[in-house]
Amino acid sequence: MSTVTVNGVATHVQEIGSGAPVVMAHGLLIGSLASWYFTAGAELAREHRVRMYDLRGHGRSARPSTGYDTTTLAGDLGALTEDLPPFDLVGHSWGGLVALRFALAHPDRVRRLAIVEAPMPPSAAIDDLMGGDVSPENLLAALPESLRAAVATGKRQAARFVSTVVALVRDTSLIADVRREPTPDATSLRVPAMFAYGDRSSCLPGGRELAAQIPGAQLHVLAGGHYLHLDARAELARLLGDFLRG
Amino acid sequence: MSNDEILRVIEACLVEVAGDELLIAGPITPATSLNADLELESIELVALAEKLQQRFGSQVDFVGWISKKELDQIIALTVGELVEFIGSCRP
Repeated sequence: MSTVTVNGVATHVQEIGSGAPVVMAHGLLIGSLASWYFTAGAELAREHRVRMYDLRGHGRSARPSTGYDTTTLAGDLGALTEDLPPFDLVGHSWGGLVALRFALAHPDRVRRLAIVEAPMPPSAAIDDLMGGDVSPENLLAALPESLRAAVATGKRQAARFVSTVVALVRDTSLIADVRREPTPDATSLRVPAMFAYGDRSSCLPGGRELAAQIPGAQLHVLAGGHYLHLDARAELARLLGDFLRG
Repeated sequence: MSNDEILRVIEACLVEVAGDELLIAGPITPATSLNADLELESIELVALAEKLQQRFGSQVDFVGWISKKELDQIIALTVGELVEFIGSCRP
């Protein structure tokens, strides 16, 4: 396994495929690099060198108690990609905001930026989803239907999943970091950008506003909800492939 | 390498990735489902794929194989399908 220490945090990284480099970041709480590995990542690996990693606190990376804001996470991303020439960057949800933060700060490092279902304003991301009650119980109740069913079984996967989410909510600054997150000023973005949102996602209106701030940005609205990499797996992979090839 | 030998290597890799409590319900067989029976997490399946590649070599293109499958096929994967795939990649 590829574990590298990034800003003091043991971070799980996987790289697949060969070609021009693409770096992919996943969303908070229920995300891991597997979110991309089994969806668009595997597809992009036919033409690209795809680097995916578990954000701190997620998947097989270590879980420090702080640093879930996009500035710290973009710092992790920068350290993880120091060896790469300028690369394409793809992010889902909070990972999309991390990607945006990185591209705004380091336009010379990013060739193209693809943002999937980034929540705007960032500070409302979790409260909007959960009606302001950020208890682990309510968080689990806000899961997609399929995951909720899995959690209800109470078996191995469910137990592990619940313990991860509960630990992130109770033992780290994640929720507080989200609530404190400043809204990015995307008008100064100097990197070609693509946005994808689901037609059933509560993030779509904010996504439209975000995309409209950036001259020349593409916005694609696909059939699906917030977990668009699952709901529109083939179509999103095709769109990303076309955008990164162009 | 016989299919049974491949299966025993997969079993060893599974234990390395997810711990030997996976074997509590009995030995792993071709019919064992990675999701329904073993309850592997998706990130553990990624780690398993990496282990299998290290063990069997780069001709085992797990990512290419996965990318051609629908999500429900990935979720329904059995150890037997993995054995068959690995067997088909090797001389």
